[in-house]
Amino acid sequence: MADNRGAQAHPHVWVAVRSEIVFGDDGQILGLRHAWEFDEMYSAFAIQGLGKNGKLPTQTELEPLAKTNIESLSEFEYFTFAKQNNEKKTFSSPQNVTLDVNEKKILTMRFFLPLAAPLSAKKPFSFQVYDPTYFVSFGLEKQKPVTLSKAPAGCSLSLLDPTPLVAADNQKLSEAFFQNMSPGADFGVKLATRAIVACP
Amino acid sequence: MMRLIWLHIAILVAGSALLIGDPAAAQRHPFAVGGQEAISNATGLAGLILAWQTKFHTELQQAARALSNNPNALGVFLASCFAYGVFHAAGPGHGKAVLTSYMIANETALRRGLALTLLAALFQGFVAIGLVSIAALLFKATSSQMQNSTHVIELLSYVAIFMLGARLTWLKASALVAILRPSSIKDTNRFSCAAIGDSLHAHDSNCGHIHAPDPTQVAGPDFYWRDAIATIIAAGLRPCSGAILILIFTLSQNMFVAGILATLAMSLGAAVTTSLIAIIAVYAKGAAIQWSGVNSHRGLIISKSIEVVAALLVVSLGAILLIGIAATQTGT
Repeated sequence: MADNRGAQAHPHVWVAVRSEIVFGDDGQILGLRHAWEFDEMYSAFAIQGLGKNGKLPTQTELEPLAKTNIESLSEFEYFTFAKQNNEKKTFSSPQNVTLDVNEKKILTMRFFLPLAAPLSAKKPFSFQVYDPTYFVSFGLEKQKPVTLSKAPAGCSLSLLDPTPLVAADNQKLSEAFFQNMSPGADFGVKLATRAIVACP
Repeated sequence: MMRLIWLHIAILVAGSALLIGDPAAAQRHPFAVGGQEAISNATGLAGLILAWQTKFHTELQQAARALSNNPNALGVFLASCFAYGVFHAAGPGHGKAVLTSYMIANETALRRGLALTLLAALFQGFVAIGLVSIAALLFKATSSQMQNSTHVIELLSYVAIFMLGARLTWLKASALVAILRPSSIKDTNRFSCAAIGDSLHAHDSNCGHIHAPDPTQVAGPDFYWRDAIATIIAAGLRPCSGAILILIFTLSQNMFVAGILATLAMSLGAAVTTSLIAIIAVYAKGAAIQWSGVNSHRGLIISKSIEVVAALLVVSLGAILLIGIAATQTGT
């Protein structure tokens, strides 16, 4: 589905991702707790007209928007693509969806994305967050973007970075001129970091 | 005859390249801003343009951020908006397809075509300014309410494209049919009808053909302006997401005037690119006619056929866009 939709122009929205990999009491991976921080332009757009008397909108006032967002996100697989054993793992409906805006007028969307079925963490589990249409440019937060919650002792987490955005860009562009001007198929996925967790 | 077929194929290919850029059956994006954005493959030239657009959008955001701290950064901000406009318009999009096809379909002088392009770009900017001023500034509309009004505008603009295309197709096809009729019949009939001098006979089956609109007859000033305005509306009615984002952002930072200036700078930038595309289109048509012999009957047929194909492209573009909206509505 996502593959034949093509790339959607170029990013108009930037998101800084922070994700928590949530474990159950039995040491299985239950899902991901996302916190997506939007750029100031999209934040301004999203909160436009909300909030009373010139104040910033409250979480309650943002509820309808959060609902709309999460509904359309379901058609895009929540932009979250998880794998184990080289097999795609799916998610069920998100829980505890909220939007909040801080004093800098920056909007953050938070939700828990449960795996369709809990997974053993004995084999490496990995996920990426990206928009295949590249309308939204997802990037990981600079400080501790991915953390583990209630993970069993000895679990290791690593982030597999793509080539840094700017470098990759320039490299692509210069290579592109020599290779029939083709910077490659899917910017969204090529610029996405992969988070990998493995437990003993 | 082969040349004629090849010409049509070439135009169809060029036209479909523009058409591919439009959202046939895509879902509404969860974080969509304004209308549906054009979809393109991130490969080849489109990918290169994509990389540039991304770069300029990032620069524009930085300039906007700088402006909110330092009013003196306005110049940089406007310059980056202009650049953004230039590169944003370089991607595929229905506005360019409409303008280019219109210019190919009509014997529009280049200068008038360029004026049309500029007006369409400015009109698009004014729609964004008007929408944000009325919806956000006056009615304190929320982003979802603004989305809804954008969708209505989007629908209207696609209907406008379809209608413009239908009208152009009718006019151009009639002109082509008139030419394809053997000239001998036309001459004798014109003579015989005139000779009869009876108003009742003027409408018989032979004389009726003379009533097919001849481009030289319909290309009067009224005709030109009515169609030109329709083209400007069809091409420019849908506001671009970038402009809406900038306007809302500057509004939230209490610098709405800077946002208006930025939108106009962006429109001018977009006009530069669209003009280049329009110039290429007009010269390509000229070359095709030159190649087939300017004054020959065949040359005339070829140029009229090109116009019909261009008009058909506008009509199918409108149809595809409307089907796309219908698919989105039922799909969600």
